[in-house]
Amino acid sequence: MLRNTLLIAKREYLERVRSRIFRVTTVLVPLGMGGIALLGGLGGKKMEQGIQNVAVVSNDAALAQQVKAALSRGEQGPKNVEVVAPATDADLARLNEEVTNRTIGGYLTIDDTGGRDSLQATWTSGSATDFIGKAEMEGGVSDGLVRQQLLARGMSDSQLQALMKPVKLKTQQLRNGQVVSSDTGKSFAGAYALVLVLYCAVLIYGINIARSVVEEKTSRIFEVLLSSASADELMLGKLLGVGAVGLTQMVIWAVLVIGFVGSQLAAARGIHGLASLGLTNVELGYFPIFFLGGFYLYSALAAALGSSVSAEQEVQQFSFILISPLVISVVMLMYVMQNPSSTLSVVMSLLPPFTPIIMYMRICAQMPPLWQVWLSVALLVASVLGMVWLAARIYRVGVLMYGKRATLPEMIRWLRYS
Amino acid sequence: MEVLVELNHVSKSYEAKAAVRDLTLKIEAGSMFGLLGPNGAGKTSTIRMIVGITLPDSGKVTLFNKPWASASLQRVGYLPEERGLYKKMKIIDQLVFLGELRGLGAAEAGRRAKSWCERMQMADSINKKTEELSKGMQQKIQFISTLLHDPELIIMDEPFSGLDPVNTMLLQDTLVELKKQGNAILFSTHRMDQVEKLCDSICLINRGEAVLSGGMREVKSRYERNRVIVQYEGADGFLNHPAIAEYKNYGGHAEIRLKPHADAQDLLRTAAATATITKFELVEPSLEEIFIETVGGRADA
Repeated sequence: MLRNTLLIAKREYLERVRSRIFRVTTVLVPLGMGGIALLGGLGGKKMEQGIQNVAVVSNDAALAQQVKAALSRGEQGPKNVEVVAPATDADLARLNEEVTNRTIGGYLTIDDTGGRDSLQATWTSGSATDFIGKAEMEGGVSDGLVRQQLLARGMSDSQLQALMKPVKLKTQQLRNGQVVSSDTGKSFAGAYALVLVLYCAVLIYGINIARSVVEEKTSRIFEVLLSSASADELMLGKLLGVGAVGLTQMVIWAVLVIGFVGSQLAAARGIHGLASLGLTNVELGYFPIFFLGGFYLYSALAAALGSSVSAEQEVQQFSFILISPLVISVVMLMYVMQNPSSTLSVVMSLLPPFTPIIMYMRICAQMPPLWQVWLSVALLVASVLGMVWLAARIYRVGVLMYGKRATLPEMIRWLRYS
Repeated sequence: MEVLVELNHVSKSYEAKAAVRDLTLKIEAGSMFGLLGPNGAGKTSTIRMIVGITLPDSGKVTLFNKPWASASLQRVGYLPEERGLYKKMKIIDQLVFLGELRGLGAAEAGRRAKSWCERMQMADSINKKTEELSKGMQQKIQFISTLLHDPELIIMDEPFSGLDPVNTMLLQDTLVELKKQGNAILFSTHRMDQVEKLCDSICLINRGEAVLSGGMREVKSRYERNRVIVQYEGADGFLNHPAIAEYKNYGGHAEIRLKPHADAQDLLRTAAATATITKFELVEPSLEEIFIETVGGRADA
């Protein structure tokens, strides 16, 4: 039993790992991902840089200088601040033109001719929804006013510098007894990563298993194989073999990711090890369990679906059936995140097709009772084996009956085979 | 002789259609057994029950004197009618895989695969992929994969279909050699003329039922030698002899069908009295004729 299964697994594994497509995807996917990450990084950087060039227009030149000082002070403030005080109509026309052709991000107009109480400040910029610019300019004007007042009260420039030094606030979160950096985006990084990885793995490798089953059906190899091995051995071997190919590829990628996360390059971007990605040890530990469980369950389902169709083209049609439980899990993710212990969350996390994502999300959000976690894992494993068994039945009967559907007594008689 | 396969009143039906009905047969070691019949007669269904791909609805299948068990399959080589190989896999890898699946070690399987490929005159193809080979070559590879583990029972479903005459001869010679070594060979075919000289025993089936079975000699002896071929010079008056049911005269060469239980020797004496006979042959009926006679008779009934 075991020997045949391993032989079949070995064949599937070696044939696939040796193939060109395996080498190509192993290299190209991380390159593509890296490219996407780099693009995302560029976008983020541009955002952080904010507005580079601004002008301050005022009737009060001293105030304008203080606003300039306040604006230039922060790390993220504009690099070049031009002071136009007082401004002529020609100056304003020039500034408008510069905003239009984007040589400057915008200009600030401060008018205190009516005294401090009726001070008017206007921020004119080229973009409609420039919230960052607006907040920054508000801060700049307020700080500039304070600076002017303090200077007028005889404070020295260095005293002013020390007083106005901004305070940076650090945030962190206590989760599963471990302190991690708090960032709402990162809080559930583990759950999101699992969703993404599982989704891709099922789509790529699950479909591969289905294809491999269909290939054997259409090329009629199964008849030779079935005269030497049982359908169970074939199915289990296929699942292990094709599954191992997927895992090999993902381990290669994972090593690359972990290598990157620990590298100087990542440190330069503010990532220091996996914990800074918002993953606790508990989450890291459960990740492979739920990933493997989900991966094998969906792969076995793909094998069963592959056994029930007769042409490769039909494989595409059922890929929807294959991923629909995953889609439902993703839809439920928000709800489970907010209500990790509600009855619905608990029930869903114990249903094998939803277990991988939902139970893992519960673990990320708030550790459920251990018995629930291990019950869900046990159910998951049992359903993987059940699915393999079912796939073998469908394969054997569906394949040989030439379109004739097996009756129940016939199915029962198949079980007599060892 | 040791009996390797025994089917005992085996029946199998698919939904309403009976594929095999109450079939009983025995295959002995060191013999060639022909499972003959037209397309759709139930040959493949019968074979599938022997190799355990399907189960009989009733009746018993015995392999190597034991009730059917999957462990026995390591002693069986099965070449299905619809052949398949992994398209993208190298021939040698494929043969080793199939050999291992039948219980050989990897090294032994590789060694045997190489020597068989040499014997089948395709040693230079072993590092090619299946899709690079011609149909006939692929068929030879399958033939090799069936024999790699040196099975005592070799089952081949339509082994010669699609092969050219040279390769057909090569395969036939190989099978005859294997038979001499004591292996039992079962093959099914609808081309009865092809197997007539090869088979020791046959089972003719039609619509799932055995219509005729037994040793080849014995089956043939059940049918009268009622065809006569005569080559003569001179008068053809003997063709009006009362023993003749019908004849075709090509002038100097006549093909005659005798009436049942007619006296062929009397015909010879009459012919010799009126013409010079250069050849007078009582022809044994061919399997095809026997089959048509048997099945045709039943179809009419």
